[in-house]
Parts: sequence; C-alpha cells; structure tokens
Amino acid sequence: MKISNSFIAHSDGKDTLLVSTGTSDFSGLVRSNASAGFIIKCLEKDTTENEIVEAMIKEFDAPREILERDVKKIVAQLRKIGAIEE
Amino acid sequence: MFTNNYTFAGHVVEINSIFSEVHQYCAEYRSQKPPVFSVTTDQNDISYERERSYKEDIAEGRPHIEYSDSYLEELAVYRKIAEKAPDWDTLLFHGSVIAVDGQGFLFTAKSGTGKSTHTRLWREVFGERAVMVNDDKPLLTVADGSVIAHGTPYNGKHSLGCNISVPLKGLCILTRGADNSIVSISKQDAYPMLIQQVYRPSDPVQMHKTLLLVDKLAEFTSLYKLKCNMEKDAAITAFNGMKG
Repeated sequence: MKISNSFIAHSDGKDTLLVSTGTSDFSGLVRSNASAGFIIKCLEKDTTENEIVEAMIKEFDAPREILERDVKKIVAQLRKIGAIEE
Repeated sequence: MFTNNYTFAGHVVEINSIFSEVHQYCAEYRSQKPPVFSVTTDQNDISYERERSYKEDIAEGRPHIEYSDSYLEELAVYRKIAEKAPDWDTLLFHGSVIAVDGQGFLFTAKSGTGKSTHTRLWREVFGERAVMVNDDKPLLTVADGSVIAHGTPYNGKHSLGCNISVPLKGLCILTRGADNSIVSISKQDAYPMLIQQVYRPSDPVQMHKTLLLVDKLAEFTSLYKLKCNMEKDAAITAFNGMKG
C-alpha cells in the first residue's frame, strides 16, 4: 500500500501535511504530529504496516505494541479518507 | 467554434469554445496580443462540470440547480486556466478582493460567511477610494517577494470587479461575531483555510506547485483573522488593522 496519487504530502516547515488534489472527494487537510508524519513519509513508497512498524522502532523510543497500534490507527484513518492505494 | 484571446493575470489565453456566452462573459478582458496558452472545451468538459456542480450542491446541502451547457462551459474554461496558472506563479483563490488607495485586501471564508457583505461595507465607508478587484475568484500572482491580485471575469454572482491588478497588502480570514476585532495570525494558523480556499489542480505536479505557492503566499503577505458584524465599524476595524 501507499499514498494515493490524489494526495500529496507537504511540509509547512513544521508539520507534515497531507493535502488532496482536485480529483479527490476529500477536500480537507491532514495535519500530523511527528509519528503520523513519519508514517505518511513511509507511505510515499509502496510498503506494509509491518515495514512501517520496523522503521518506527529504529526512529522512536517507544514499545512495539504502542507503535503497532499507532500505525494501525493512522493507516485506518488515511484509508477512510481515500488516501491509501492498496 | 468561437475563438478569441483574453488576458488572465497578465497572460494572454486563447479560448476556443462551443458556445458564444463565455466570450461575452470575458469581453472586458479581450486582448489583441498573441496567446501563450490555448484552452479548448468540448462536451466532456461540460459533462464534468455538471457532475462537479451536482456533487458540490449535495455536499453543501444546497438545492440542486440544472445549469445550462453554456454556463458550465464558462466554468470549464476557468478550470483549465486555473490548472495551468501555477506555471505562471499564479493561484486561483476563493475570496473577495477590494483595493483602497491602490492596495488590495483579500477576505476569505467559506461560502455564506459574509465576504461580499463585508467588502460592500468597505465601499460604503471608503466611497471612491475603494475599487472592487474581484468578489469571488481572483487570481493571485505570488513572485519576487510580493503578491499581486488580479481582476478576472469570474467575479461572483453580482459581477463585482474590474480589469485591474493591485499589490496585496493583507489576507484576512473572516468570521462572524457580535463585535469587531482583528488579530495577526501565523502561517500555521492560516494554512488550513488557505488550503481550503485555493484551487486544487487535479494534476499532482500542478498541485505540488500550488502548495509551494501557498507557502510563499503566506510568507509574502500579512495574515489576519477578523471577527466582524455587519455594521460599517467592521470595515473601519479591518482597514485599521491591516493598513500597516
């Protein structure tokens, strides 16, 4: 899975923002904290939830189950707005 | 097929249309110069606009109106220009721009908040010093450290605007309130609204350019948030807060 073509990840200098193009039905903007921003960055290339968790373990000082839960939650939210291409 | 040339944000665009109405609509912007970009519409573009307007009416809870093909073609023409505009460092932005003493002030908010009502108050307060640039969908050129707001034929249901370009002094998010107050806001505070109100191209490359231009827009112009009622004092409060 990866970020759909109809979404673009963009940094406003502080946060990673996920913005839809004109073709998407979703017309909002997703502003993310550090871990969600990291997950979005991972999703710019084709990947899996497991790969993202492995990458996060190297980056963040947090227990695996917390990171797994975060990844699951963020991916589910992104999927809900049509931002994920399987 | 109807063909003629028009100026949009300083760029001459050739419009080739099925119906003549778009040419009457854009007449004030006619140009004799050779075009740098050409727009041609067909029946598919009109069907696309019909579908979009249907979806938007539903999303905003408005009763659906069945628009004429010629009107939908006018929208299709502006969409094609808006898709191209990032190549000219230019954005289509949803808002009302008024100039006072030659400097532009842009008010933006979701439809129905009262942008047009607010700029009408400015005209009442400032009289001949105030000129409507565009009441609905101005083009903004963001380059060389400044923002220029351009009038365009697409200036809202009351056709308020004219064929001029002015430097933008400030960009203000308008909200309703019982009293009038204005504060400076940061780029971060303004960003969600800027992203909502800018035209989002369908092409990811143009969308990326749009985001870079929105960053510069936030950098090159002062950003404000206004709480306002519908009294003339609202215009005075906003002007005093933004004139610098």
